[in-house]
Amino acid sequence: MAEFTSNPVGKNVPRADAYDKVTGAATFVDDMQFGPGLLYGRLVRSPYAHALVKKVDVSKALAVPGVRAVVTGQDVPARIGLYLIDRPVFATDRVRVVGDPVAGVIATSEEIAEEAAQLVEVEYEELPAVFDPVEAAQPDAPLLHPDLGKYKVANFIFPEPGTNISEHFKLRKGDVESAWPRCAAIVEDTFRLPQIQHVPLEPHAAVALWEQSGQVTLWTSSQSPFAQRDLIAQSLDIPHGNLRVVSPYVGGGFGGKAGVSMEVYAVAMARAVKGHAVKLRMTREEEFIGTTVRQSLVAHTKIGCDAEGNLLAMETQYYFGGGAYNDYGVNIARAAGYSCTGPYNIPNVKGDSYCVYTNRPIGSAMRGFGMPEIHWGIEQIMDQLAEKIGMDGAEFRRRNCVKTGQTILTGMKMPAVDLVACIDKVTEAIGWEDRRGTARPCPAAGPRPSTPHKKRGQGIAIMWKAPAIPPNPGSSAIVRFNEDATVNVEIGAQEMGQGVFTVAAQMAAQALGVPYEWVRVSAPIDTRYSPYEWQTVASRTTWSTGNAVKAAAEDARQQILEIVAEHWDEDAEDLDIKDGKVISYKSEREQPLQNMVIYGLPNENFEGWKGGPIVGHGMFMPTYITNLDPETGQGVRAVVHYTVGAQAVDLEVDTETGQVEVLKIASAYDVGKAINPDLVLVQIEGGAVHGMSSAFEVLRFDEKGQPINSNLVDYRIATSADVPQEIHGDIVETPLEDGPWGARGVGEHVMVQTAPAIANGINDALGIRFSDLPLSAEKIFLALEERKPTEE
Amino acid sequence: MATHSITVTVNGGKEYLDVPSNMTLLQMLREKLALTGAKNGCAAGECGACTVLVDGEPVNSCMMLAVEADGREVTTVEGLAHEGQLSALQEAFTEHNAVQCGFCTPGMLISAHALLERNPHPTEQEIREALVGNLCRCTGYLRIIESVQAAAARGGV
Amino acid sequence: MLARPGLPSFDYVKASTSNEVTRLLEEHGEAARLLMGGTDLFVRMRDGFIRPQIVVDVKHLPGMRDILYDEQAGLRVGAASTMNEVARHLDVQAHYPLLAEAAESVASYQLRNRATVGGNLCNGSPAADTGPAALVLDGRIVLYGPDGEREVEAGEFFISPGQTAMEAGEFVKAICFPIPPAGAAGRYLKLGRNKVGDLSIVGVAVFGFPDGTAPSGYRFRIGLASVAPVPLRALEAEEVLAANPPGEETFARAAEKAMAAATPIDDVRASAAYRKAMVRNLTLRGVREVWEQMREGR
Repeated sequence: MAEFTSNPVGKNVPRADAYDKVTGAATFVDDMQFGPGLLYGRLVRSPYAHALVKKVDVSKALAVPGVRAVVTGQDVPARIGLYLIDRPVFATDRVRVVGDPVAGVIATSEEIAEEAAQLVEVEYEELPAVFDPVEAAQPDAPLLHPDLGKYKVANFIFPEPGTNISEHFKLRKGDVESAWPRCAAIVEDTFRLPQIQHVPLEPHAAVALWEQSGQVTLWTSSQSPFAQRDLIAQSLDIPHGNLRVVSPYVGGGFGGKAGVSMEVYAVAMARAVKGHAVKLRMTREEEFIGTTVRQSLVAHTKIGCDAEGNLLAMETQYYFGGGAYNDYGVNIARAAGYSCTGPYNIPNVKGDSYCVYTNRPIGSAMRGFGMPEIHWGIEQIMDQLAEKIGMDGAEFRRRNCVKTGQTILTGMKMPAVDLVACIDKVTEAIGWEDRRGTARPCPAAGPRPSTPHKKRGQGIAIMWKAPAIPPNPGSSAIVRFNEDATVNVEIGAQEMGQGVFTVAAQMAAQALGVPYEWVRVSAPIDTRYSPYEWQTVASRTTWSTGNAVKAAAEDARQQILEIVAEHWDEDAEDLDIKDGKVISYKSEREQPLQNMVIYGLPNENFEGWKGGPIVGHGMFMPTYITNLDPETGQGVRAVVHYTVGAQAVDLEVDTETGQVEVLKIASAYDVGKAINPDLVLVQIEGGAVHGMSSAFEVLRFDEKGQPINSNLVDYRIATSADVPQEIHGDIVETPLEDGPWGARGVGEHVMVQTAPAIANGINDALGIRFSDLPLSAEKIFLALEERKPTEE
Repeated sequence: MATHSITVTVNGGKEYLDVPSNMTLLQMLREKLALTGAKNGCAAGECGACTVLVDGEPVNSCMMLAVEADGREVTTVEGLAHEGQLSALQEAFTEHNAVQCGFCTPGMLISAHALLERNPHPTEQEIREALVGNLCRCTGYLRIIESVQAAAARGGV
Repeated sequence: MLARPGLPSFDYVKASTSNEVTRLLEEHGEAARLLMGGTDLFVRMRDGFIRPQIVVDVKHLPGMRDILYDEQAGLRVGAASTMNEVARHLDVQAHYPLLAEAAESVASYQLRNRATVGGNLCNGSPAADTGPAALVLDGRIVLYGPDGEREVEAGEFFISPGQTAMEAGEFVKAICFPIPPAGAAGRYLKLGRNKVGDLSIVGVAVFGFPDGTAPSGYRFRIGLASVAPVPLRALEAEEVLAANPPGEETFARAAEKAMAAATPIDDVRASAAYRKAMVRNLTLRGVREVWEQMREGR
């Protein structure tokens, strides 16, 4: 391992946080020590999917020795939300999902709090519930939010009061009706996926302290401490400056820790025991259904192409099952709406994307933010159309995928990306066999299956995603020095394993001119000391925080150069900083950064000093996102940029059991510039496995909405024995115009299209198309059995 | 509820503790000894984030009572490095980028350590099976498997 | 109700004699529970299904962890032997490989360091992986109770889900297996949702041995897990294999009979229809493999 890496951008420097994590020294919020006075909270949760709350009696709970307080909706009549303020902190008049919190108990131990929580008596009046989003969107469905019209809502979200529709995004481009008759082939299908959960290894946890002075501190595992501060401050009427959010390392976020889920309960409960810290932890079972999940989706899609295979038209409707509260969900439905063509050039598009209230766990941001949900259908239906027109799936995608400069569905011009290069890389890596003109399955063509009762197949899928952000999400950064010229970089972006602390250090080092090993990002992220960061989401921090860090480092660099230039009586343009030393290209003099970055430089004969403590600051906020027309979804610039990518899979299906074994996944993503190429590759690997696992995962409920597999025994995720033998990753670099060194993000993109790639591979192997997730072995086997009599 | 006075050797040092009957070994390590390397991921023996060695064998410490550790030797991730020198596995994990969010890492290291102690040259399949009880959501496991192979190749643990 | 964060309160007692155990069980009745590996007990306590006042640790009684093999008497596995201890025991691997395979199929390496054979059997779960192995290897469960020691054949031990032939005050001390017939071979095939480490959706134990008294020259014993209220033997399938010449046609007929013997339910893990088909397919695979092993004299 090098101890002195110059110009680290583009190099595989070691992770900044690895040492702490392999020694067990890395602190997560549940590891933080708060002393013997720490109190513990437990929530009282609704056993019903939909019910009125008639009465809450906490007297028996309060009587339990060790209980300090019980908080109910009466004590906290507040709602919380980001885009749509629809969620009560504690239920007041109504519960809308099994597990909806009704009260919080605070006690001297978690055990006592749990015992007492069991003693809170709630009188419910059960209401009819609705679970399917299409059903819930109908006018006669049970109404979950009669007050929808009164909720504060962002000006780009359009709920329909009097219904369960919390958002309706419309996309109208060209004229689909006139396009259908011109199509040589048309395919129409419906695709469904259930709710699934992030399953971060670290369950949500929060500690809150509300001091008598009014200062409130929240320690939590959070991707977005500033967003949490903002939402909770507004919801609980705390002046922003009085609420401090501190977040140490996040043990996996995947979007589930992006906003506020359970943290607001901890703060509301802390208010009842002022001066005492209260810890609230989610059990794994609560993590599954009591934090957030990925929304379910029913997608009806129709597409058509001409005789040469050029896409002409798409008509699509999305019904997202948003769950009991649709705060983040509405933006997901919106993002899905303005992305509904997938990464394809389609001149005529009619899209309607609905977010719908259902009596299910809260659907929210999960890695991909609507993209995995919609690509499940898009990438399958593209394959179906390719097959119908007799084209190979990879070739069809090369022809139709969106290219730089083309006008996309929102009327924006596609920024520079190279999706064809991504397709080429994965088809080469997987050994893609051209399927032009062949029906499925193709027993003759293709690689040999490993045993006779297995069928082998290949699948391909492409994707696109833009950060789904409001028009003005800002990043900022500060660069400070120590006497030995080591550098502290302060950011508000959060390390959840994606490596932002490492790449931010690389970027600061490069922009400053010091070795990577001299730079460290300050942690934990603390809204009292860290500079503002909108959220660590949307795969935006390499780009946005990176720009802020680069600007801050360049600011510090410029300050240093000006001081030394004056000191040497030279021009700052002739100076540079290399490997921690100011050098002059003109006079070849050198000035080490040590000490001068704090103390400045003395004049001759110590007649005065120049300079002083150097503090660089920088900020980045995109200023060019425009509104979209509410009727057509058209706008000059809907999004900041796109990251695109391709995945191909090689798999086998055991026809005797229905089990799918993914043998190899090949991925290629256009990241603009890989600041740390190996960190991009490990994201590709982790994402491929996450994507593969997501094809087999499902949250199950009974007919009354009770969760039946909200635990790791019966909600299975991929283990070390399930992962493919090989995951091959390729990096394509088409620079992003306003990316630091051309970089843009990739953290979510790497799992967006794995599930449909697998479904396409299964279709290749078996000639059966599965339009509904999960792809369970049972479903595949029973479909094979059902088909048997019709075979020759 | 009964309380038990126990003596447990943790990372080579004797600890004298009073524990209630229902305290798990995981709670004992985290709450009594502030050894927070072992994590609480599920409290059900499914995720492996709480894995520690008891008399050299990996167990889910969330599924063992503290009182059952009386008289036994426990090794946690904090005990793998020796006087600041990382173990071969810890080095390999950092070199091969087998760490992302880090929550599964302590448990992974313990399970891998025990594997290499009992099987110094495992096949890839043996590594995969040995780590089945340690879930990871970030890395996709391949770098972890690679790290175990690298440490084994160096003849280390 | 969701599982609670930790274990409810109880008193832990480490038993040192068998009589102490029976006395405690008689004294406390339903309020006492036995602790072996705890992998099931602790989960159920967190889930709120059971709430014992006293938990009696029986792992340290004499002989509970011993695995003893005798060329005449056979194998005696102490009830508190862990799955890993059984799976890696050289005598088990040499003489009862099916049992080793079944033990090794359970969960993860960590859980196998705690989960015990005795615990696995006396939970009375139809999914117990050692259940079919006990059935096809002619296992006898050794119980100790207020009236002393008694043995129950594996075939009589499982009554219904969660209920075994154990009576109040009794606990499992050991499981004994006779010497297997010469030339025997066996396989345990398990289907889960993950490749490795899951509970069984279907478990099939196939045990075969040469037997001149059978028209086919071989006898098979087939044990099934997770497809009926209890682990069970597929007796009609066994008869088909004993009566008919070995070969694909006979094997297929036997597999159909095994499928008919299964009465699975729909549950969160799988549907009855899938389970039935998997009984057939796994039995067929297992019988083919065991037959191959016997033919090659392995």
